[in-house]
Amino acid sequence: MDGAPGMAGHVVIVGASHAGVQAAQSLRQGGWSGPITLLSAEDRLPYQRPDLSKAFLTEDRPDAPPLKGLPFYEANDIALKLNCRVTAIDRALRRVHTDSGETLGYDRLILATGATPRRLSAAAENIHVLRDLTDARALRKALRPGQRLAVIGGGFIGLEVAAAARKAGAGVILFEAAPRCLARALPAVATGVLLARHRAEGVDLRLACGPVAAVLDGTRARALRLADGREIRCDAVVAGIGCTAETGLAQAAGLTLAAGGIAVDAALVTSDPAIQAIGDCAAFTPPGAGAPLRLESIQNAADQGRHAAAVLLGAATPFAAVPWFWSHQYDLRLQMAGFPCPDAPALLRGTPGEAGFSVLHLDARHRLVSAVSLNAAADHMAARRLIAAGVPLDPARAADPGQPLLHAQADAA
Amino acid sequence: MPDPITLIFRTAAGTETRVPATPGQSVMEAAVMNGVAGIEGECGGCLSCATCHVFAPEGLGTPGPDEDAMLDCTEVERGPRSRLSCQIAVTAAMDGAVFDIPAAE
Repeated sequence: MDGAPGMAGHVVIVGASHAGVQAAQSLRQGGWSGPITLLSAEDRLPYQRPDLSKAFLTEDRPDAPPLKGLPFYEANDIALKLNCRVTAIDRALRRVHTDSGETLGYDRLILATGATPRRLSAAAENIHVLRDLTDARALRKALRPGQRLAVIGGGFIGLEVAAAARKAGAGVILFEAAPRCLARALPAVATGVLLARHRAEGVDLRLACGPVAAVLDGTRARALRLADGREIRCDAVVAGIGCTAETGLAQAAGLTLAAGGIAVDAALVTSDPAIQAIGDCAAFTPPGAGAPLRLESIQNAADQGRHAAAVLLGAATPFAAVPWFWSHQYDLRLQMAGFPCPDAPALLRGTPGEAGFSVLHLDARHRLVSAVSLNAAADHMAARRLIAAGVPLDPARAADPGQPLLHAQADAA
Repeated sequence: MPDPITLIFRTAAGTETRVPATPGQSVMEAAVMNGVAGIEGECGGCLSCATCHVFAPEGLGTPGPDEDAMLDCTEVERGPRSRLSCQIAVTAAMDGAVFDIPAAE
């Protein structure tokens, strides 16, 4: 980075969720001595989000657990400003403007602005999305016995909400436009086990249903209308139809965008050398990948937060973290490692079913590229290490659930 | 709320961090809330990430089957005292307990 402020400049971080908080922590613990300001548009201490689509929906806890306690920010001299939304970046003068009329100068700026859920074209008080604590609290009220929830979208959010709703006793109809749920993330065999469980739990799954539209009655949605015109009654709707990256600030400031996100290089630096972008909003090109992509996951947020800090502290290695992700539905524990390649030839480790199995994708040199594990935590942990190591495996041993995956490396030739 | 106790986290280099913990929390939560470096707890404590590996004092129970399976593959090789700290509930009797943080995490 040009004109490096050493380790004493003012770092301003826009966005205080998993990525932003991690960047602040890693900067301070790595020895950054200058001021660190962490700006949150929300009115509460930054909190953990993964549980909001899972157990939080079936419990009556008022709050999500904070990422850090208040004493952490004080002890680490991290100036956390809540209720503070950045309205513009002035790159020439290196400062940001906030909605309270404040102007903050920076030496280095980190954008951790996250993503926003896509909404249906119709809006009504009982049409929900799920991204933050406010969303989760509102949705939770709709998950009651006797109520019928229509879930639009069979992705991770939609399926996790469906599982939570069933646990809470609500009826669930899930609409997925495509013939298969999670087609880009999971191999068909894993989706099959997952969906079989949803059906067994009483979820009415409607695949290949095409687009659906909400039918409004005053301020409420009373039904969904299918592509063929049929209407299906419901008491509440949740749209789990993906997110768009929060790129408004970056775009208005003239930063380069890519793949729907803010374009960054291997140091997570944007087209402005004084600005980095991390987490859901950042579009990066992983080693060996041909095109930039965004990842919406806790792992990516935390790893990029750590990496952005390491870059400011002088590290020169490119960002190359192995992605991993998890989803819990009922008592099924789904864990994924590596970049998904659901349609590549796969090696099955174990028998598909709830007793636990993994689907492994090896490249032409038998190196592990990705792994999807269902109720097979040890496989997942081993996969993350083997993908990072990039060592060839013995396919027969890797496919044998009687032998630990961690020790499935091919014998040296 | 029960009275807070103190837990001690010690790095491989011997540096100790004392943090307040409340019975009912997990040891991971106490560490993460106070920003103890080297204990990440990225999955929030649902046994999905193994980024909260510690060497625990004796007498705090044994790992369950999932925890045990994940401990086989932690970044730093497991030892006899290895636990995932998200699976250890803080109790009043733990006041002053010392948890060692594996070196490379």
